[in-house]
Parts: sequence; C-alpha cells; structure tokens
Amino acid sequence: MGLIEKIIDWVDERAHIREIYRSLLVEYKVPKNLTFPYVFGVLALVTFAIQIVSGMVLLLYYKPSIADAFDSATYTIMGEIPFGWLFRHIHATGANFFMAIVYLHMFTGIYYNAYKKPRELVWIVGWLIYFVLILTALSGYLLPWGQLSYWGFIVTTEIPGSLADAPIFRDFFKAIAETIVLWMKGGYVITDITLGRVFGSHVLIYPLILLALVGIHLYLVRAAGISNPDGIEYDKKKHPDKFVPFHPYMTLKEGAYVMWYLAVFFFFVFFHISHFLPPDNFEPANPLKTPPHIAPEWYLLAFYEVFRSIPSKFWGFVAFNALLILLLLLPFLDWSPLKSARRRPLFFIAFLVFMFSSMALTILGSMPPTPMNAKLGLIFATLVFGFFLSLPIISFIEYGWYKAKGGEQQ
Amino acid sequence: MNAWGIIKTIIIGGSTLVFFFLLWFYNPFKHVEHYEVDEEVKQIIANPWKKTESGKTIAEEGRELFINFCSSCHSLRYDGIYLMSIQTNPKWKKIEKSAGRPVYRHGILYKDRFFVPKDVYEAFAHDELQQLKASLGQVPPDVSTLYLARGEGYLYQFILYPGKVLPGTSMPPMFNPQADPQAKEKVAKIVAYMKSVNTPPPKEQMKRNIMGILIIVYFIVAGLLLWKYRENLLKRLGYH
Ligand code: HEC
Ligand code: HEM
Repeated sequence: MGLIEKIIDWVDERAHIREIYRSLLVEYKVPKNLTFPYVFGVLALVTFAIQIVSGMVLLLYYKPSIADAFDSATYTIMGEIPFGWLFRHIHATGANFFMAIVYLHMFTGIYYNAYKKPRELVWIVGWLIYFVLILTALSGYLLPWGQLSYWGFIVTTEIPGSLADAPIFRDFFKAIAETIVLWMKGGYVITDITLGRVFGSHVLIYPLILLALVGIHLYLVRAAGISNPDGIEYDKKKHPDKFVPFHPYMTLKEGAYVMWYLAVFFFFVFFHISHFLPPDNFEPANPLKTPPHIAPEWYLLAFYEVFRSIPSKFWGFVAFNALLILLLLLPFLDWSPLKSARRRPLFFIAFLVFMFSSMALTILGSMPPTPMNAKLGLIFATLVFGFFLSLPIISFIEYGWYKAKGGEQQ
Repeated sequence: MNAWGIIKTIIIGGSTLVFFFLLWFYNPFKHVEHYEVDEEVKQIIANPWKKTESGKTIAEEGRELFINFCSSCHSLRYDGIYLMSIQTNPKWKKIEKSAGRPVYRHGILYKDRFFVPKDVYEAFAHDELQQLKASLGQVPPDVSTLYLARGEGYLYQFILYPGKVLPGTSMPPMFNPQADPQAKEKVAKIVAYMKSVNTPPPKEQMKRNIMGILIIVYFIVAGLLLWKYRENLLKRLGYH
C-alpha cells in the first residue's frame, strides 16, 4: 500500500493527474435530471473502443488479397487461431451495435433538441462522425470477401451511377457519375487494388478520422455544456441545485448502464451471431454468380428504400442525399427558441412521425420490391421529408407563442 | 415520472425494442425458403461426433463417403480434400507439404490433411478444373463453407434431389432413395461431415457456452454492484 501510494505520488508530482482528474471529472457539473437516453453517447464511446481493440486482433491474421481474404477470415480466424472466432464475433456485433447506438444517440439529440444553440457544432461534428462511420461500415463489409460483401459493394458503388439518368445536362452528370463510380471501385473491375485500398481505408484512414472527430465532438460537448431534457438552459452559478458532479454521480450511473449494455452485447456475441455474420456471406465471392436478393445492411435500408421507391434513379439518388443534407442542416431548419420535445407538442408529433417513418422505411427496405412496397416507401419518404420541412413552420408558430408570453424561457 | 412521461417512454422505448426485434431476431416480412431433413435421419446430423458401430464417428464415415462420391467434382479445402484426380498426383503431395500447412481446427491437429492456399491449388489444378467446367458448364464449387451458407435442410435435399432444389443444375443426383435403402442415411452422413468441418465440436461448444454465460453474468452483477455502491455513496455525500 505504502509503496503504491509513493509511486502514485511520484507520478502525480510530475504529471499532475489528480489535478486533471479533479477539474475534468469532479468539478465538472452536469444537469441532475439527465434521462436514460443520454447514456447513448457513452455507449457509443465504449463500442468505439471495442471496435478498435477487436479490429487490432483481426488485423493480425486478415490477408487483404482476393485469393486469401475469404480463407483468412473464415478458415484461419474462425478455426485456426485460438479465440479468433470470439474476436470476429465481437467485431461484427460491435459494428451493428455501433450503428444502432449512434442512431439512438442521434434520435435522442433530435428529441431533446440538443442540436440547438449553443450546440450546433456538436451536431455538425456528430453528423461527420455518422458519415465516416457509414464509410467505415461499408468498407469493412467488403473485407471477408463473401458473396454479400462483393455484391453489396458492387451495388453500393453503382448507386452514384444513377446520376447518369439525369433529365438535363446528361453528358455532364454522366461524366460525374462515371468518375465517382470509378473512384469508389478503384478501376473498372474489382481487383486486389480495390480490396487493398478498401482495407487500408477501413483499418487506418477512417478510424483515424473517427478518432479525431470523436475527440473534437467530446471537446465541443464539454465546451457547450450538456443540454437539459427540460429544454431550459440553467445557469450553473444561479442554480447549483440543478447540477451534480460528473464523478461520482454520473460516472457510476453510466458505468452500471455500460455493464448491462455489455451483458446484452455478449449475449449476441456468444449466442446470437447469425444476424451479424449472415449465412450468405459464408459463400466466397463469385463475380459470375449474382445472388438472388442483395440489399444493403439494415442501417442503410431507409435510404435504400427512399432510393428505390422513387421511379427515377436520378431523383432517387438526389432524394436520399437530400435527406443526409437535411439531417446536417437540422439546427438551422429548427430555429424555434423553444427546446426539447417535452415542451413542444407540435415538435413531439413531428418527431413521432419521423421516427416511425424511418423505422417503416427500414423494414420496407428489407422486403422484396413489389409495387405495393414502392408505394408505401414513397408515402413514408414523403413523411420523412415532411418532418424536416415542417420544422421551419413549427418554429414560426412557436416563435409567436414565445413572443406572446413575453419572450420568457420558462 | 408522471403518467404522460410513462406513456411516452412506453411508446418510444417499446417501438424501438420491437424495431430491433424485427431486425435482429425475427422478421416475418422477410421471405425465406424452408428445407427439411427427413425425420428418420435427423439424429445423424444432430451429432456428427457420435461413434457408430464401426468404431468411427459419423463425421469420419461422412468424410469417406464424400471422398468416394463427391471428390471427383468437389474439393473441400478446409479439411484437406482436393479433387480426386489431383490427390493421386505425387507432385501434389509435395506441394501440399511445401505450400500448405496441416489442417488445424478448434485446437485439433489433423496431420494427414493439408490446407493449401486457394491460388496455389487452383493454379496446380487448372487443367482438371477446366475439364470439369467444359463438361458441366461451370467449375463445381469448393464446398468447405456451404454448410454455413446453405444450412442442413437445403444441403440434405439438394444432395438427394439436385434438380428438384436447383432446377437446371448440372450437378447429377449421386444417390437414389428408390434403389438404395441407405441413400438417405448416406446423404445425412455427408451433411453431418460438412457440419463437423464448420462447427466446433461439442466439448469446444460447451466451453464457449460456459464462457458466454460467465461473461454475461459477470456484467449483470458488476452493474448491480456499481448501482448499489453508487446509492450508498450518494447517500453519504448527501445527494438525493
Ligand atoms: C459430376 C460432378 C459432381 C459430383 C460427383 C457432385 N457434384 Fe455437387 N455440384 C456439381 C456442380 C456442377 C455444381 C454446381 C451446381 C449449380 O450451381 O448449378 C454442384 C453444386 C454443389 C453444391 C452447391 C449447391 C448450391 O446451392 O450452390 C453442393 C452443396 C454440392 N454440389 C454437394 C455435392 C456433394 C455432397 C456431392 C457428393 C455426394 C456432390 N456434390 C457431387 C457437380 C458435382
Ligand atoms: C463515434 C460516435 C459518437 C460518439 C463516441 C459520441 C459521443 C458523445 C458523448 C459521450 C456525448 C455526451 C453525452 C451524451 O451522451 O449525450 C455526446 C453528445 C452529443 N452527440 Fe455524440 N457521439 C457520437 C456520434 C454522434 C452523432 C453521429 C451525432 C449526430 C449527428 C451526435 C450528436 C451529439 C449531440 C447533439 C450531443 C449533445 C448532447 C447534449 O448535449 O445533450 N453524436 N456524444
């Protein structure tokens, strides 16, 4: 005991850990009334760590060449290497959980309007994280070189080719479309070169960008302060009773949630992996044999459904990109001075419409493309656009209420 | 939380749970073909590691059947089975040892079988594979992982009745249940063998299950302890 304390003292004298610990964790005050969904940011952080560690193990045995990729994942990692299967299961589960948690985190931010002043930058950096995360997931999915990997990649890289379908300036759009497709594929056919660069992106470039973005994101969250579910920006000095020290109040609570999250996580890892390592992907990629149904992974199905339910490929492409952009612009579309769905009945209704439509689009995306599904897809796509476009109107109405009440926050 | 808060939580939380249940457990809107194994041979596929009267395991018998009936067209590289015409080539024996490595799976070493990288094998067997392609229209696939990709019901039905499951396929029926009363049993043994290559043996599976349960219980208990500790601590610090 004495010796350990001495060592800690020795380090502390030089590194000032205790000071940093005090100022970053104990003296950092957060709202006392944070609700359960505020944990999703921390869960995302935990999942990110899991992905990096499990990815590093897989990296030791994976071989990024067309001849070896499938076998290195399915033979070497799954059977030859002790616990290789465990790390592959963890990484596959982590990828799906990461997307799920980030979606839940985003919906939480939307529900409590955490993207509003002074947190617009938090939201924008979050959106960049989301975008890079999608690229990371897409690139990782190619690596095991199964049928789904290969054909999923083909379908994804050909989607920008829809631009060639433009009603005007056809040559112009065609040139752009071809360039994007060529650039994504790394050539006219998929070769070792494609696999090599997708591999490099997945294991180094995207994770580094993510790491930087997550760091900026966390810094911005600290700088702006965490939002309040009540939608009221309390002053820390005037209302000290509304705040609690981050440590131990929040850390222990979120620590417990993290433990239970990991329990669910490992249930999937050990006992329910078939949805994250789908059977069809245990057939090696075969460029001569198109599988009967190829669809993107679940986290892109909503965008995919919007894309395919619009009859024109060009407008389908424009529509799903517009959705991404609208998501980015959320803080500026919703300019109402009121915050949090708790205090905004109109926004609450719009939020429910948005949430259920996104879910419906995802489920529709997993179904065969019948005319009925296309019709439903079109309806829900309209509702999703309706959510974004209703925000300025709702804001306008709420601005009236706000003024009528004398511009008071409470 | 007031009543309205509880209702909102149930609506939003509940629909989120239903949504992920559809995605990750069971999606009734998704169409999947079902293939069944005949009742009388289900037992055979259930445990490929069981010993038969001959003193061998079902998987070992299935392996012999596979070599006899299937390896004229198919390789099963993950268990060191290559095309019969290659396997009898003395040069191949040398290549197996120099370019390959003994099959090692789930902690068990099979000294008599070699795993050879795909490109080495396909380059060496180029002529034979092309001959098969010329006569069958395509190179019969390596079936190492098809147990995982297709499932046992499909394999069983396909091997018994290739044309019925995959109309127009060039794979010939190798067994005839009308003429050979043991046909179904043989096919089941082959499927059991393919399963044994792709799934951990019962002892290893048991280890994994125990490990999984211990880890899950550990995290649940750790969460509870943290929660309890926090409550006591907050009381002492005067929160709540
Ligand atoms: C005369 C050569 C030949 C023999 C012998 C043969 N097969 Fe095949 N097999 C093929 C061909 C060709 C295909 C490709 C069929 C297709 O995709 O249409 C095939 C495909 C398969 C498939 C994949 C089906 C799918 O869904 O893609 C399996 C599994 C299979 N064979 C198992 C076996 C087993 C087990 C045996 C031994 C009982 C066997 N085959 C014997 C030629 C053969
Ligand atoms: C790698 C992925 C991510 C990590 C690790 C992460 C982490 C965090 C953490 C730890 C917080 C603080 C508290 C909380 O949970 O609310 C936070 C807040 C926030 N995040 Fe993220 N995040 C990620 C992705 C995203 C994405 C994709 C978005 C949205 C596009 C986003 C938007 C926000 C917003 C708006 C806040 C402020 C919440 C508030 O103040 O109430 N984040 N993030």
